Amino acid sequence: MAVVYYEVGGESVGITGMILAACLAGMVGFYLWFTQKRIGFDIPSDDLTAEIADDAGELGFYSPHSWWPLPVGLSATAMGLGLIIGWWLTLIALGALILSIIGMVTEYEKPLPTSRR
Amino acid sequence: MSSHAPRAGRLVRAAALVAPALVLLSGCSLKSEDISGMGFPKGVSSVNDISISLWQGAWITAAVVGVFTFILIMWPVFFHRAKAGKGEFPKQTQYNVPVEILYTVIPLAIVAIMFYFTVVKENKIIDKTSPVQHEITVEGIQWSWQFGYPEAGSKAVVTGTPANPPTLYLPRGESVRFTLTSNDVVHGFWIPAFMIQIQNLPGDVNHLQFTANKLGEFPGRCNILCGRNHSQMIFKVKVVTPEKYQQYLDSLKASIA
Amino acid sequence: MTTFAERPKIAVPRQGVEKTSLGSQFVKTITSTDHKRIGYLYLATSFFWFLFAGVLALLLRAELARPGLQFLSNEQYNQIFTMHGTIMLLMFATPLFVGFANVIMPLQIGAADVAFPRLNMLSYWLFLFGSIQAVAGFLTPGGAASFGWTAYAPLANSTYSPGIGGDLWVMGLAISGLGTILGGVNFITTIFTMRAPGMTMFRMSIFSWNVLLTSILVLLAFPPLAAALLGLESDRLFGTHIFDPANGGAMLWQHLFWFFGHPEVYILALPFFGIASEILPVFSRKPIFGYKGLIAATIAISALSVAVWAHHLFATGKVLLPFFSFMTFLIGVPTGVKFFNWIGTMWRGHVTFETPMLWVMGFLVTFLFGGITGIILASPPLDFAVSASYFVVAHFHYVLFGTVVFAMFAGFYFWWPKFTGRMLNERLGKIHFWTLFVGFHLTFLVQHWLGIKGFPRRYADYLATDGFTGMNMISTLGSFLLALSMIPFFVNVWITRKSPLVNCDDPWGYGASLEWATSCPPPRHNFTSMPRIRSERPAFDLHHPHIKTEGH
Repeated sequence: MAVVYYEVGGESVGITGMILAACLAGMVGFYLWFTQKRIGFDIPSDDLTAEIADDAGELGFYSPHSWWPLPVGLSATAMGLGLIIGWWLTLIALGALILSIIGMVTEYEKPLPTSRR
Repeated sequence: MSSHAPRAGRLVRAAALVAPALVLLSGCSLKSEDISGMGFPKGVSSVNDISISLWQGAWITAAVVGVFTFILIMWPVFFHRAKAGKGEFPKQTQYNVPVEILYTVIPLAIVAIMFYFTVVKENKIIDKTSPVQHEITVEGIQWSWQFGYPEAGSKAVVTGTPANPPTLYLPRGESVRFTLTSNDVVHGFWIPAFMIQIQNLPGDVNHLQFTANKLGEFPGRCNILCGRNHSQMIFKVKVVTPEKYQQYLDSLKASIA
Repeated sequence: MTTFAERPKIAVPRQGVEKTSLGSQFVKTITSTDHKRIGYLYLATSFFWFLFAGVLALLLRAELARPGLQFLSNEQYNQIFTMHGTIMLLMFATPLFVGFANVIMPLQIGAADVAFPRLNMLSYWLFLFGSIQAVAGFLTPGGAASFGWTAYAPLANSTYSPGIGGDLWVMGLAISGLGTILGGVNFITTIFTMRAPGMTMFRMSIFSWNVLLTSILVLLAFPPLAAALLGLESDRLFGTHIFDPANGGAMLWQHLFWFFGHPEVYILALPFFGIASEILPVFSRKPIFGYKGLIAATIAISALSVAVWAHHLFATGKVLLPFFSFMTFLIGVPTGVKFFNWIGTMWRGHVTFETPMLWVMGFLVTFLFGGITGIILASPPLDFAVSASYFVVAHFHYVLFGTVVFAMFAGFYFWWPKFTGRMLNERLGKIHFWTLFVGFHLTFLVQHWLGIKGFPRRYADYLATDGFTGMNMISTLGSFLLALSMIPFFVNVWITRKSPLVNCDDPWGYGASLEWATSCPPPRHNFTSMPRIRSERPAFDLHHPHIKTEGH
C-alpha cells in the first residue's frame, strides 16, 4: 500500500507512516512465523486435540499484588507535569521514575546463589 | 428470562423509530426544491450542477441498501423468535460460503460504481487550470475575511469584522478563480448553498474555481475552528449581474484612489 | 492465590478470610494485579468520564437551543467542546475497550491472568493520572484547552492558545496514551502466549480476536499521536518550529494527527463489534455466522484503516482525493460484510430479546445509518458540501455512540452476572434502553439536516435569521432525554446490589465462550476447572453436549 501511495504521488507523512505500519505488522507476522518454525504446533495452546490436563501443573508466576506500579505511574505523570510547572519537578520525577522502575523490575528477584561471606 | 413482545410492544418499537423522523421533519420548513435537491438548491453554482446528481444518486443508493439491510435486521425480530413449539435449538448453521461471497461482492460492486462517479465529478470540481474570467483573493484572518479583487487594483480589498461581516460579490454566469490564504491559523471557506468548501492554510496557497449561476444572497461561513470568535467569522455571498459586478469593481477602484 | 469460592457459614470469621473493611479494600484495589479488578477500575473510571463529558455536552446543547449566547462565552464554549471530544474519545471510549478487554479476554482464552499483571496496573495509573491532568485545565485561570480535540496547528501553539490548559492537555494525553500502548502490548502477548490447551487461534472468540487486532492498531496509531503531541509541546514550551506554518506545519499536523485519528476510531469500534458478536449467538441459540469470514473482514478493516486517514483532509485541497476516497469506500465493504454476518447469526435462530440483545439491536440499527452517512462522506464532492458541518457531527455520533455506548450497555447487562454474581433487572433495563434510544435519535437525527442547511460544527452561536433554531431546539430536547435515560440504569445498579446470587456458571443458558464455564464471579485465577476445548464455543459444548455444530 505504501508503494501504491508513493507511486500515485502521496506525501511524506503518509508514505513514512504506512511503511512503518507495514514494518510493525511485519514484525508481528515475523514473530508468529519464527515461533511456528521453532516450536511448530506442539504447545497445547495450538494443538487442536489438546486436553486441559496437558497443561496441568504450575502455570507460571503471577504477582499476587504490588505497590510498585503506583510510584512508576506517579513519577511518569510528574515528569510530564514538570515540563509545565518547572524543571525541578521533572528532575525529581526522573529520579523517582528510575528508582521505581528498578523497584518494580527487581521486586521478585531472588538473591543470587553465591555463598555468603 | 425471555421477553414476550405483545403487539403493543411491537407498536411501541415501530413508533419509536418513526417518531424521531416526524419530529425531524416538523422542525424545519421544507421547500419543494429541498426535496428534489435533497437539501441543496439546484443550479446556484457550477459545483451544484456537478455534485447534486451525485448527492441524489448516493442517497438513493444509501436508501435502498439501508432499507434492505434494515428489513433484514428486523426480520428475525418478528419471524425468527423463540417459541415454545419450535423446540429449544434451531439448526446450528455456522457458515454458507456462497451467501458470504455474495454479500462481499455486491457491496464491492456498489462502492466501485460510487467511486467511479466520484472521480469523474471531483476532477471537474478541483480543476484549477482552466481559464477563468475573474480572480478574487480570499484571506482568512482571526476573525473575519478579507476579499481582494485584483481586477480593481491590488489595493481593492474589503475587510470584515465579526460585528460587521463582509460581502463577497460574484458575477452571475462568469467563472472565478479564488486564491485562498490565511494570515494566522487554519480557516475554512465554506459556502453551504454552493456545496463547496476549502481550507485557508497559513504558509500555503489554495486555489478554487467555480461559477455562480443564480442571483441572490447566500450565507458563507468559516468552518475550521480558529479560536475565540470562530462562530462570528461569517460572510455573505452576493451574486449580481456582470454589469453590477463591474460597477462594484469600479466603486472599489474609486474608493481607494 | 485462589480466594475462597464460598462464603463462610459460621458467624465467627475464620482465619484467612479476607477483611472487607473499606480501607483494606482500597489497598487491595490499588495494589491489585488481578486483571478483573483492574478491568473493573477501568470500566468504572471510564464510565465516570462518560458522565462528565455527557454533562459538558448538555451545557453545549443548552447553549445552542436558542440563538444568541445565553450563559457561555465563546471561549468557554470552545473549551467545553474541546474537552467533551477529548474525554469521550480518549478517556471514556478507549479505556472502556481496555476495561472490557481486561476483564473478559483472559477468561475467554482460558488464561489465569494477563501476561504482565503489574504493567497492567501501571497502564491504569497512567490513564488515570494522565486524564486528570488533561482535564485539570478547567481549574487553571486560562481554562482548559480550547482548540478542539483535533488541536490543529497553528491554533494549538502558544501564540494562538496561550495558557497552561493547553500544555496540561497535551502532556496529559501523552501520558494517558503511553498507558494505552502498554495495555496493547499486554493484550497481544497474552493472546499469543497464554491460551489454554486446545484454544487455538481459530477457536478464540470473536471478541478476543477483535481485542488482538485492536491492540495491534493501538501500537500502530498511538505512537504517531505521541510524536505529534510531544512535537506540539516542544513548540509550545521551547519555541521550536516543528509545526510552524512556514514549514508546512499546518498540513504536517493534520497528516500526523489523522494518521492516528482514523485508526483510533477503529480502535473504538472493533472491540464493541466484538461484544455484539458475543451476544448475538447467545440470544439466537446459534453459533456466530461465518466465523472465519468475520475474522477476515476484521483483519481487512484493520489493514485498511491505516490507509484512509486523509479523508479527514479532503477539504484541505492538498491530498490525493482518488486514493483516499477509494480506500474509504473499500473499507466500507468488510464493515458491511460484518453486518451480514451478524444478521446471519440471528437468521432462522430462536431469538429472544433480553436486555443485552435489545442493546445490540439498537447498535445494529444506529450503526447502519451512521455507516451509510460515512459512505456518503467518502466521496470528496459530497464531502465538500458538508464537511466540518453538523452533518459530520451527526455521522460520527451515530457511528461512535451507536457502537461504543450501545455495545457498552449491552456488555454491561450481559456480563453483569459474570462480574458481580447478580443479574440486573430486566424491566428497568428495557426502560433504560428505550429512553436512551429515543433520546439519542431525537438529538442526532436532525443534525444531519442542520449540517446540510449550513450550520458549521464548533459554532457557539447562530443568528435568529439563520433558520437553525427549530432543529437545535429538538436536538437539545433529545439530549436532555438522553441524559435522563441514565437514571433507570443507576436505579437498576442500586436496587440489584443485594439481589440473589446467580450461583451458576451461565445464567443466560446459552453462553458460548469460555467465561461462561467458570463461576459468577470467577475465582482469583479464573478457573478451578476447565472444559475440553474443541470449538469456538467451549462453554456451549460443555452445557449442551448433545448439540453438534454443523456447517452448511
